Amino acid sequence: MRLLIYTLIIGFSLGVSSKANADIRFNGFASVKAGTTLGSGETLYKYEDELSWRHETLVGLQFGADLQQDLSVTAQLVGRGSESYETNLEWAYISYRITDNLKFNAGRIRTPFYKYTDFIDVGYAYDWVRVPQSVYNLNFTNLDGVSLYYTSQLMGFDSTLHLTAGSNDGRPEIAGRKVDGKVRGGYGIIWELNRDFFTVRLAHLGGELTASDPELNGFTEMLRGIGYASLADDLLLDDSHSDFNGLAVTLDKYDWVLVSELTNVTFENSFVPEQTGFYVSLGHRMESFTPYISYEKRDDSAKREIYADVPQTAPFYSDLAGLIDSLAVDREAWSLGMRYDFHSSAAFKVQLTHSDNKITNEQNQLLTFGIDLVF
Amino acid sequence: MSKLVSLIILTLLTFQAQAGTSVIVHPSNSFSLTADDVTRLFTGRSKTFPDGRTAVPVNLTEDVAVRAVFDEKVLGRSSSQIKAHWSKLLFTGKGTPPKEVDSDQEVIDLVKSNPNIIGYISSENATGDVKVVLSVD
Repeated sequence: MRLLIYTLIIGFSLGVSSKANADIRFNGFASVKAGTTLGSGETLYKYEDELSWRHETLVGLQFGADLQQDLSVTAQLVGRGSESYETNLEWAYISYRITDNLKFNAGRIRTPFYKYTDFIDVGYAYDWVRVPQSVYNLNFTNLDGVSLYYTSQLMGFDSTLHLTAGSNDGRPEIAGRKVDGKVRGGYGIIWELNRDFFTVRLAHLGGELTASDPELNGFTEMLRGIGYASLADDLLLDDSHSDFNGLAVTLDKYDWVLVSELTNVTFENSFVPEQTGFYVSLGHRMESFTPYISYEKRDDSAKREIYADVPQTAPFYSDLAGLIDSLAVDREAWSLGMRYDFHSSAAFKVQLTHSDNKITNEQNQLLTFGIDLVF
Repeated sequence: MSKLVSLIILTLLTFQAQAGTSVIVHPSNSFSLTADDVTRLFTGRSKTFPDGRTAVPVNLTEDVAVRAVFDEKVLGRSSSQIKAHWSKLLFTGKGTPPKEVDSDQEVIDLVKSNPNIIGYISSENATGDVKVVLSVD
């Protein structure tokens, strides 16, 4: 796959050098955002109680070359404040338009879990300061593979069927822990239907997930050493089949926009709990201003059955129970915000989020503001 | 008298500000289009004319006043919303926004030279070289 990416880059530079038969496009997007929690010692989405400009500031540059006969090459570089602006090639693919309704992409693409995943970095394309984090928590962002888009008209609906397959190596965050992860045999079927003010999106993705966390590996080795091999196996995520299901509905009428998304992820034979996320958001467009309110909820029940049979006197009991319990999530959040299109290519946004963690009984409030633009 | 002149000027200015837009195609085309058809072509949801031939929409740049009229009255969205829509498609490999030109005359020149091109201009600039398929005041 690495080879494919290099091929793409070379193909792209060839495209650039032979201007006679290639149409070169250059576009970009940027977000400059700052935020702070409102109470002393509060943290939320990596923000702390002093103003930071780093976490969600980013710049993206996209180069595209339309070659002859419906073939195009695209590369997108993104530099994020959260990663010290080290640029990463987020998209790099060749695209072939087979017919007006059928398009094939190959290379580095996006794993299309959620409704907004594909353009999650392009803040200008949506009203919120950030997508609801209770739902948008899987970050196997990139997929090296292929995708096929088929658009058609179906009973008065515009239908887009999106099929994808590929693999991924990365450093995803699973249940709040950064791990070395890989997905093999990943696939996805996404179907979106739109008519007038109504859009529905159904997504099913699956794959074999392997993840390793050095800290956890030490613990499982210890368990194996003292004869708890099957318990150690329970703490692995090794070629574990994972399923993702998502449903999103949008109603957009009379300047009111209602968006809601419900997602569920399961990890077979794993200590990682089933994850369920939901949000609903209502916005109202008034000339250049779009105020909105949203509610989100996340519910992951810890798999306590893993340590149910372990005697409480076992020396590792509290570490094990602590680890399993730490994966439980029960939180909800309310956000109130506004988008203001002050310029033809830029929007100012401000958002206040109140998060309530029902497990730790902590409430955190975060104020974020900034500018999203495209060029 | 000066009142009358002011009134006329005011009327003219008002007329200028409310000037409508006309969607134009090559005169050899015989189909008609609804506002919904035009919207589908200019938002990337459709790529063909009713007769099945490929349609290539041409846009005006934002500094041409009639662009905002077209976005709001025909597409039913503000220019910002249209831009947000296209940035979704552009940065995800799903589509490329229509090419933009600087003036009504350029649109007319493109449309009259190619039956696949569809554009729009200020209604008062329509000429016999092109066929108006939809007009909005």
